[in-house]
Amino acid sequence: MTAVPAPAGSFPAARRFGAVLPLLRGVLALAAVLAAVELIVIALGIRPYVLPRPSAVFEAILRTPAAYRDAIIRTGLETLYGFAAGALFGIGIGIAFSRLRFLRETVFPIFIVSQTIPVIAFGALVVMWFGNTILAKSVIVFYLTFFPVTVNTLLGMRAVDQKQVQLLKSFGASEGEILRKLRFPTALPHIFVALRIASALGLAGAVVGEWFGDTTGLGVLLLQGMYAENMVAIWASVFCSALLGVALFSAIGFAERRIVFWGGSDA
Amino acid sequence: MMTRPQTDFTAAEAAMTDTAEPILDLRTLSKTFGEVQALNGVDLKVQPGEFVTVVGPSGCGKSTLFNIVSGLEEPDSGSVLRFEGRSVMARDLLGKVSFMPQRDLLLAWRNVIDNAILPLEIEGANRAEARREAERMLPEFGLAGFAKQYPHELSGGMRQRVALMRTFMFKRDLMLLDEPFGALDALTRSMMQRWLLDVWQKHRRTVLFITHDVDEAIFLGDRVLVMTARPGAIKLERKVDLPRPRGADLVTSPEFIALKRDLLDAIEEESMKTFGPNPH
Repeated sequence: MTAVPAPAGSFPAARRFGAVLPLLRGVLALAAVLAAVELIVIALGIRPYVLPRPSAVFEAILRTPAAYRDAIIRTGLETLYGFAAGALFGIGIGIAFSRLRFLRETVFPIFIVSQTIPVIAFGALVVMWFGNTILAKSVIVFYLTFFPVTVNTLLGMRAVDQKQVQLLKSFGASEGEILRKLRFPTALPHIFVALRIASALGLAGAVVGEWFGDTTGLGVLLLQGMYAENMVAIWASVFCSALLGVALFSAIGFAERRIVFWGGSDA
Repeated sequence: MMTRPQTDFTAAEAAMTDTAEPILDLRTLSKTFGEVQALNGVDLKVQPGEFVTVVGPSGCGKSTLFNIVSGLEEPDSGSVLRFEGRSVMARDLLGKVSFMPQRDLLLAWRNVIDNAILPLEIEGANRAEARREAERMLPEFGLAGFAKQYPHELSGGMRQRVALMRTFMFKRDLMLLDEPFGALDALTRSMMQRWLLDVWQKHRRTVLFITHDVDEAIFLGDRVLVMTARPGAIKLERKVDLPRPRGADLVTSPEFIALKRDLLDAIEEESMKTFGPNPH
């Protein structure tokens, strides 16, 4: 057994290539699907009112790129703020629930009830409170994201191997040390599963939140396209929403691979 | 602090006399879980520097015994637990005894070095210093060059060595090893046994070692204890008068085989109580 200087994290070139490869494959697959749709629309003579050609959609985006860019930034920020707050709150309260039985038994049921209120009903209220601001949409995003994160944090904190807890205790570890050195790292893979779900939910919340009144954002563009019966504009907004959703999801996936590098399950 | 015996002869001899102060002294130690009595009156003395092995049929309460001595469970009232000459509660032993459980229980997000220094970190030691110390110990544990590897990149035998290194780095006079080689293949296991004896002779710790393998118990121990079927107690105690250092050929010597036969008979008798048909 000679020295093997190959800790995880070496071979940066190979790693970067490994990360780029699936992205490249995804882009190629998407291009192929779009090309296929283009051909089918032309071949079958489908009217633009039913399904516009992808190329027409791209043309529309390129005609007024600033509008779409601003919309992506606005909706992206709403999602990001709400998501960050929801994630931090969810992780914090999940940890608190795992430690404090009293809190879990009194507050957790309220959380569950809160999640039975449809976001649409809640959205109207939030806009009344906070007006047509980024804050209003972020609150809606927060409302949608904190719950799955809370649930999975609690789940992850409890997924810890009792034998490992005993081992740390035998070293004289306090509950706080066991929390920091064992329970939280054990919970991380579960937390990331929730973050991925929450990012998709949060984006939907931001888009829907804009329907209650705003002047910029992807939700606004969708609504405008709908009122104008402009199929191309609607599809352009859908495409931009998808782009934003994929970007969020990939960013979380990237962070997950970096942070939970050991693969989650007890390897 | 008590002085540690310098040679195996004195360690073994001290074990036979009651005059020396034992590091661990258990008297009428019992433990009941609800309806089930796991231990019933265990009497056991371990002298400083001694290597004591414990064998017994499955489910005889060996692990319960270790959980008590490592401070994780309190024995029933009426049990006497003395450590380094003082009567103690089991929980007083948390952080006082270095305990290695059956599975390696390495933390997946820590590399070899950081897993090994975990107990030092909990003690509040300087992390950089602890890492340097661990780095120096790597070759002795056959882990040279593996400092930065993560548990999922290691074989079972290597993971077990990391766990052992972690146990050794937690410098306590008494080490409890709970079937540390149970999950390893026969070849790796016998290599690990000889290596453990080397390391033990160098570091001069007191070891209480659980196994269900009689060969292993004789090969390693100054003394072998056989436990009864549940509820567990000490059934038989045999001094192992075999010279050290012990080589692989020891297991075929007549003394070894005679001792093994005695111990196997005792274990067989106890196993029959648990699994076999009623002999009477």
